[in-house]
Amino acid sequence: MHWDMFNLQDKKGMKMKKILIIIFLGLFSTLSAFALDGNEILRQVDRNLNPDSFEMYRKLINIEPDGTKKEFVMFSVKKGKDKIASVFLSPASEKGRSTLRIGDNMWLYIPNVGKPIRITSLQSVTGGVFNNSDIMRVDYSAEYNCEKIETIDTGYALYLKAKLKTVAYETVTMFIDSEKLLPYKIECYAASGMLIKNLYFKNIKDFGQGVIRPALIETDSPLYKDYKSYIVFANVKKRDLADEIFTLNYMHKIDGLR
Amino acid sequence: MKHGFILLTAWFMIVSFYGTAVSQNTDDDLIDLDLDFKIEEVEKKPYSINADIETKETIRFFDRDALLFKQRYLDKKNEATAWQTDLDLTIEGQFQKDFIKLYGRFNGLLYYNDDENFESERKVEEAYISFQPSFSLAIDAGKKVHKWGKGYAFSPSAFFSRPKNLDDPDATLEGYYSLSADYIKSRGGILQTIAITPVLMPVNRDINHEIGPKDEFIWGGKFYFFTLDTDIDLMFLVSDNLNNHFGIDFSKNLTPSLEIHGDAALVKDYHQYIIDEYGNTSKQEDTVFNFLLGLRYLSRQDTTYIFEYYHNGQGYSAREYETYLSLIERGFDQYLNTSSQSLISQSKTMSAYYNQQAAMRDYLYLKVSQKDPFDILYFVPAITVVYNMEDQSASITPQLTYSPLTNLTVDLKTGFLIGKNKTEYGEKINNAKVVLSIKYYF
Repeated sequence: MHWDMFNLQDKKGMKMKKILIIIFLGLFSTLSAFALDGNEILRQVDRNLNPDSFEMYRKLINIEPDGTKKEFVMFSVKKGKDKIASVFLSPASEKGRSTLRIGDNMWLYIPNVGKPIRITSLQSVTGGVFNNSDIMRVDYSAEYNCEKIETIDTGYALYLKAKLKTVAYETVTMFIDSEKLLPYKIECYAASGMLIKNLYFKNIKDFGQGVIRPALIETDSPLYKDYKSYIVFANVKKRDLADEIFTLNYMHKIDGLR
Repeated sequence: MKHGFILLTAWFMIVSFYGTAVSQNTDDDLIDLDLDFKIEEVEKKPYSINADIETKETIRFFDRDALLFKQRYLDKKNEATAWQTDLDLTIEGQFQKDFIKLYGRFNGLLYYNDDENFESERKVEEAYISFQPSFSLAIDAGKKVHKWGKGYAFSPSAFFSRPKNLDDPDATLEGYYSLSADYIKSRGGILQTIAITPVLMPVNRDINHEIGPKDEFIWGGKFYFFTLDTDIDLMFLVSDNLNNHFGIDFSKNLTPSLEIHGDAALVKDYHQYIIDEYGNTSKQEDTVFNFLLGLRYLSRQDTTYIFEYYHNGQGYSAREYETYLSLIERGFDQYLNTSSQSLISQSKTMSAYYNQQAAMRDYLYLKVSQKDPFDILYFVPAITVVYNMEDQSASITPQLTYSPLTNLTVDLKTGFLIGKNKTEYGEKINNAKVVLSIKYYF
């Protein structure tokens, strides 16, 4: 009798355990599905922002509080998730400088110096609000995992966390237009949780070959009060690119790709 | 000196006026942020020409007690300072058609100082033709700079280039005439990139005669590997009349803000010329090892630290250098007592070796620069220290660089040399220097 009672309690316990496991698994799979959705949306956003292999021209504009303006024009080529090479076309003082990024590795080639030197993501080859990570942007999905996704009035909010500590911003909140699957605002945060900068994606434009993306990124930063920076995109075109272009030895020849 | 002031003032006015004109132009040209925003550079021309003009005023404060001052001027210079005004023009042009590229960079310098009055220099820094039949291959022929090595201030493995100026390691160098190629292969896997750069350099009385006294072909090469997020180069130089060189370097980011680099070279059968305190010269032959280890660190406050330790196996020991300085001291005494310049003249025959930068064996280099302090964009104060570990003498260079307008850079650099008697930096001709330069790019 005593033994039976124990058995009965055991059976009840087992049943409870099974129910708990089923609830747990259910919850876990739901969470996983959300995470997968978020990362899938992020990958789709990357592809909508740019093709897998392409070239583009960009104008970077830094505006100081007194209205002084500095402009930089760059020609860039990007291949895959994490390879991008660029050369400055103007102003004259920067002309011929080129940058290369392969994953977390970044180099700067200055014609005077005559050899590439390693640089970091938080430095800025142009000065102003944009840092090297903004200028040599690789796919967001190469650097971030989506930890949470929220549906909001205007689409989705993706809460992204850096995969590695080498990434410039520890966390990023990306606000996405759910119809176009393109970002309209990105908030970039440091590891401390401090907001470093806001990126606003504007002026969606058809560049041809199915490339429809914002032609303007506006930036402001609480660290640079009253400073504004813009990136204007032009001639975003699909292009097959050899892997050899994304090497140190090719850095001084990037202008020849135009 | 008056001429110097006039020249400097005139150029300052020209540059200021031009800068203001450009600035006003830019301000009037309000930003057009609509979709028709044009980027003119999209239309590529087959040629491009760029130039920069720099005006520079240098004041040197003589150390009249220094032995190198006595070696150069004896007791014949009474001024405490020397002024020099430079006007420097560099023009760079290139033409590209299909897989052929022509490139040239030319420099002209006009300067004025009290000793020489107006003088000028002209040189072709680079002029070469490049064949680029594929993304993997380039063949270059002509005068070209081959900057090898990962060191910022020092370059033990830069076998095919002129030495850097320690005062300005980023300055453009003049190349040598060479035939070189560049073959790149990129692939997946651990070894992501391999590149091979063979170099052939003729030496004769017409070209590259600065390299060696005898006609020959020097050859060498560089093998580059990018693997495990690390840059690695293996280098060599082979010559019948000069020393054979073998080198290796590497560079890697340890963290996002910390980079480590190293550079090492073995110089076979290096001949070192030594002079004793009586003026007798001798030649020592040995295989020597030069190397450097460096770090580059970027702090959260945007302060960049560049640190390097350099061992110069080709340099002189503290004792050898002190002996050279003792010879100059004895030579100066001889001159004062007998008017004979024989010992001083003997010391001058070796000045090319002993008076060159970093002539001794162990150095520390530190450069600290701060980007945009006090919220002033495009303003970079910096300080550089070169410390001679053997004789504890040092060079300290504070510097302010500001770019108030697009294409205009103003640079104020001061230099102080510190050291006891009979030390490298303690016995240099100057004990301080101020350089103001204004550079405009167009």
